[in-house]
Amino acid sequence: MVAPGLAEIFYYLGFIVVATLVPIIALFLIVTPRDAKPSPMKLETYEAGQMPSGRGRTRFIIQYYPYLLIFVIYDVVAMFLFAWALTLRTLQPPGSGTWPILIFMGVLLVPLAYSIHLASQRDLW
Amino acid sequence: MADPISDPIGFSLEIMTSPLFFKVAVFPGLTSIGIIIALFIWLDRKITARVQLRVGPLYASPLGGVLQSFADLIKFAFKELFIPRNADKFFFVAAPVLALIGGAGLVGLIPFTPEWQISNLELGLPAFLAFVTLSPMLILLAGWSANSKYPFIGGLRSLFQQTAYEIPLWLSAIGVVMMAGTMNLIGIVQAQAKPWYVFPGMYIPGWYIIPQALGALLFFITATAEMERIPFDLPEAEPEIIMGWQAEYPGFLFMSAAGASFVRLYAFSALFSVLYLGGWMGPAPVPALLWTAIKIIIVSSLIILLRATFPRVRIDQLLRAGWTYLLGLAFLNIVITYLLVVGPRI
Repeated sequence: MVAPGLAEIFYYLGFIVVATLVPIIALFLIVTPRDAKPSPMKLETYEAGQMPSGRGRTRFIIQYYPYLLIFVIYDVVAMFLFAWALTLRTLQPPGSGTWPILIFMGVLLVPLAYSIHLASQRDLW
Repeated sequence: MADPISDPIGFSLEIMTSPLFFKVAVFPGLTSIGIIIALFIWLDRKITARVQLRVGPLYASPLGGVLQSFADLIKFAFKELFIPRNADKFFFVAAPVLALIGGAGLVGLIPFTPEWQISNLELGLPAFLAFVTLSPMLILLAGWSANSKYPFIGGLRSLFQQTAYEIPLWLSAIGVVMMAGTMNLIGIVQAQAKPWYVFPGMYIPGWYIIPQALGALLFFITATAEMERIPFDLPEAEPEIIMGWQAEYPGFLFMSAAGASFVRLYAFSALFSVLYLGGWMGPAPVPALLWTAIKIIIVSSLIILLRATFPRVRIDQLLRAGWTYLLGLAFLNIVITYLLVVGPRI
């Protein structure tokens, strides 16, 4: 007999497996009876009615790249805040976790503000 | 329990009639998800049409074209599946199907009532939000594998859009965790059970929409951005980049790609009603499941109304607003919640 919490995870994984099988079976049922008639024109990519030219995966100016860099760091910070929020009601005495989280956020938010300031200057990038 | 080897028929019958199988296969599982998506697509078209003084789907049933999506489904199923010449075939097919599966995985975590839930995970809320994070990756994968310019631009836009809304989404959900002291979705609903007495004889329901009004608004906005619906539908953007990442998809794959967005509409409306509107709770004569349904329909209709009335934001506007206003308001919401829960002391 497995623990209740573990059983729920197994139910969930089972549900995902069933949910994976259904669209795959549907896809096979749809694909197999068809007589595919591909033609060169049909297999071209769509470029608003023109004949496609050049590579599909073109070079692309990534203007907002710095936001991606900040995101990678601060998405993890949100995780740490979840751990604090979960224990907020049970901490004794109440509010004893507040100074650490304030220092943590103070250390992290000042660089965040500066990096957003830099990221919004798009002529730099 | 019948033996699977000596009595396979009895074994299969026992599995088919077990409550868990019913949950996975019928409600709240796969069959109901399919039917509800079709109805949501109809609702979306009908509300948008009504706002724009059109009629919308009309002929597919006596009841205002409610069967139109099912007719569309049959039509899509018989379309030819062809894949662009230089596309990465496996990922091109896998991305929309995985998006659909990811959407179903979201619905599997939602407690419609305590009995009608597939999986009651202890960390239900972060599991939901973590599953949501996958979808921009799948959109980028779809855009990259199509080897075409419009899908590629759409996929990159999806990635940038995620950076704008993801952190405010998590931070607005933190307010609920601070109030409830649990991340279990059933626990969050039960924490909203206690009503507030305004004065003797009069009380209002203790739903978190009232103390978490700012958080609920932020969650609503960022969830709309996550679903890529119209004020924030930059990866699709029909007039600009011609359905973006969905541009190259034929038939059934297009149906999966478009349907995935509606599964997420369904799942997010359900999550909003669980987090902020007290889930299945409501006055007694109406059954609990009906309360959940009513709340989901109200929330999703609001999201659809946004689609019918708002123009699309530009991507630099979205990024700037996400990283300044939404993030700042999310931190303000955490401070307000702290004052409500612990009081003005450190």
